[in-house]
Amino acid sequence: MANAQYQRDLLNESGAEMLAICTVQLEKAKDAFLNHDSDLAEEVILNEIRVNALDLRIEKSCEKFLALYNPVAIDLRFIMAIRKINFDLERIADHAYSISKYVVEVDEKIPPHLLEALKFQKMYDTIVKMLVNITQAYENKDVKAARKVFKKDKVLDQINIDSFSVLEAEIKKDNNIISEALLLFSVIKKMERVGDLIKNIAEEIIFYIDAEVVKHKKKK
Amino acid sequence: MAKEIEIIMETVTEQIPANSIIDSSLKKKATIEVKDVKVWYDTFNAIKGIDMNIKPNTVTAFIGPSGCGKSTFLRLFNRMNDYVEDFRMEGKIKVNGSNIYKKKVNVEELRKEIGMVFQKPNPFPKSIFDNVAYGLKLQGITDKQLIEELVIDCLKQVALWDEVKDDLKKSAMALSGGQQQRLCIARTLAVQPSIILMDEPTSALDPISTAKVEELIFKLKEKYTIVIVTHNMQQASRISDYTAFFYLGELVEYNKTKTIFTNPEKQQTENYITGRFG
Amino acid sequence: MNSIQKNRIFDQAFKVWGIGCTLFGLILLAVFIGDILIDGIMRIDWDFITDLPSRKAEKSGIYTALMGSIWILLLTTVIAFPVGVAAGVYLEEYGKKNRFSAILEINISNLAGVPSIIYGLLGLEVFVRIMGLGASVLAGSLTLSLLILPIIIVATREAIKSVPKSIKDASYALGASKWQTIWNQVLPASSGGILTGVILALSRAVGETAPLIVVGALAYVPFAPESPMDEFSVLPIQIFNWISRPQHGFIENAAAAIIILLLITFIMNGIAVYFRNKWQKKLK
Repeated sequence: MANAQYQRDLLNESGAEMLAICTVQLEKAKDAFLNHDSDLAEEVILNEIRVNALDLRIEKSCEKFLALYNPVAIDLRFIMAIRKINFDLERIADHAYSISKYVVEVDEKIPPHLLEALKFQKMYDTIVKMLVNITQAYENKDVKAARKVFKKDKVLDQINIDSFSVLEAEIKKDNNIISEALLLFSVIKKMERVGDLIKNIAEEIIFYIDAEVVKHKKKK
Repeated sequence: MAKEIEIIMETVTEQIPANSIIDSSLKKKATIEVKDVKVWYDTFNAIKGIDMNIKPNTVTAFIGPSGCGKSTFLRLFNRMNDYVEDFRMEGKIKVNGSNIYKKKVNVEELRKEIGMVFQKPNPFPKSIFDNVAYGLKLQGITDKQLIEELVIDCLKQVALWDEVKDDLKKSAMALSGGQQQRLCIARTLAVQPSIILMDEPTSALDPISTAKVEELIFKLKEKYTIVIVTHNMQQASRISDYTAFFYLGELVEYNKTKTIFTNPEKQQTENYITGRFG
Repeated sequence: MNSIQKNRIFDQAFKVWGIGCTLFGLILLAVFIGDILIDGIMRIDWDFITDLPSRKAEKSGIYTALMGSIWILLLTTVIAFPVGVAAGVYLEEYGKKNRFSAILEINISNLAGVPSIIYGLLGLEVFVRIMGLGASVLAGSLTLSLLILPIIIVATREAIKSVPKSIKDASYALGASKWQTIWNQVLPASSGGILTGVILALSRAVGETAPLIVVGALAYVPFAPESPMDEFSVLPIQIFNWISRPQHGFIENAAAAIIILLLITFIMNGIAVYFRNKWQKKLK
């Protein structure tokens, strides 16, 4: 069984690697967007290849593990979870990529008062904290840490809901900011999606460690 | 616990004669109930106190590392351990409600009710027909037509009939390993037991023969209660309804197979089935 | 010279040595048989077999000795076969495996090696004198039965031991009692081995001389036995008697009788080998 154990550990490390890369991509995208830093945005765009390659590698490893090692119980749940986690992480990296593309293509600095009104920084900070939570949950098999993201996701949902009326009001004040406003709206939507994806990842981690399916259930 | 008592009450309502432990009308609902059973070989404590209930018309698999006592435990049910020197047991084992270790019990009758298939196919060095008919001969059945009908029926049940029907007088030793094992199962069926014990029945067979025997076990479940000891965990997960995990003479966990292999209750069980030890 | 070459040389040397020893034995045997054949083959004819012994060599025949040997053979079979096999079955199947049974097993094997004349003395005292059977065929058969009993018991036990435990397990698992298992499975499966042992034991009995002399088989018997209580002689004794006579004719007679005796022995051994082969094939 030594080979199976070794392969499983490798897969675990790949998962941690994917988690790390996507976290970094998102953080860089955030900084690039907030500071209108095209160089940083370019880095994110170039790095997308690495993310995709790792995604494919993990998929292949899972397939091989299922075929060769007949996993059961916790090992089986791990494979089932890591595939979904991988998928969600890839989507998060995708969002980071899109945001970076905006930075490069749209050559306008976003007015800071808009960012404040929309609570942009808070949104980003919440997401960063959520990423820390699930990283801890994954590496230490800590279910409590995973559960912390559910409350935080509600914060993101609220900001998203508020964004529509906030932007509406700002546009009425000043028509010229329509293109920036639309851009921001799109980015906020993406961030809300990222929050949902992180929530999914937390659910998968809870399933893998505790065999508890919290998907589609009301979270306390 | 209440459910177990219910089953016992169901079966005990019939009067059971002294020298036959099983009333044949109860055949269909064969149950085995084990209460605090311990086994010693001289001073070696092989089984350390096990409680278990086998449900009728199910396949129950016993898994665990070598030497953990699962074969010993299986052989308690048809008292094959009686032939081992220095064997001693404590506790109760009730088959269909009657304790089979009471002094009055007729062991030969017990073995007609509980058949056994062994790890290495062991047909008698006689013809195919005589192998299957042996059990009937033991019971004193002499009606040639009846014997022939029963033999053919059993060979059909194990899907061996088409392969051997041309020459039933051929020696059983000339069959392949997989065929021999199916013949041994047919031989057991001829005696019309209600419970069939199997001690690693496919570990000496090639994959195709193994698949045929597993298919047969699945079919037999309708009429019989089957308990199978296996070293092969995938086999246990493929064919059993309930699985019992043994370790060093103790029953660590006994649960629905689905549960054991997706989310077992004990860490030890999980360590074993994921290959972390043993 | 390295070790591989050394080994090869030793290999060859041992081969040559082995062949030499075998040939030595075979050649001696061939010389002996050839010599006997030369001396005796011409003497064998129907008269030789049917004539009674007489003082004249040309008129002497082996009829009484041959009949006596046949009587002894049949009676010993009837006595030793069931007793020996039953004892073997009992000891192997019903005996408890403790220190006492181990001692018993060793002693039975030892009995097979006791000099046959001792059995003769035993037979003389117990059968001839105490039981009052006199120097009869019955006494001789009983004595020889005792002699070959250990051989039959050991052969039976070995044959039974070689029946795989799995066969017995299968029989018990089907609800057979111990006796049913022995009668239906163990004995049929070991029958070849048992028969082989019995036949070999009997073929030894046919050639025994010393115990029968002690029991009182006579050298000069002018009649063939007609009942178990009659006096008798056997071929080996007749041969012994003829050899001690000075006339050359009797030497020829002795050679001829030896040929007959060898023929009987070879045939019996041949039957034993045939059964053993058949038995081994069946168990595979």
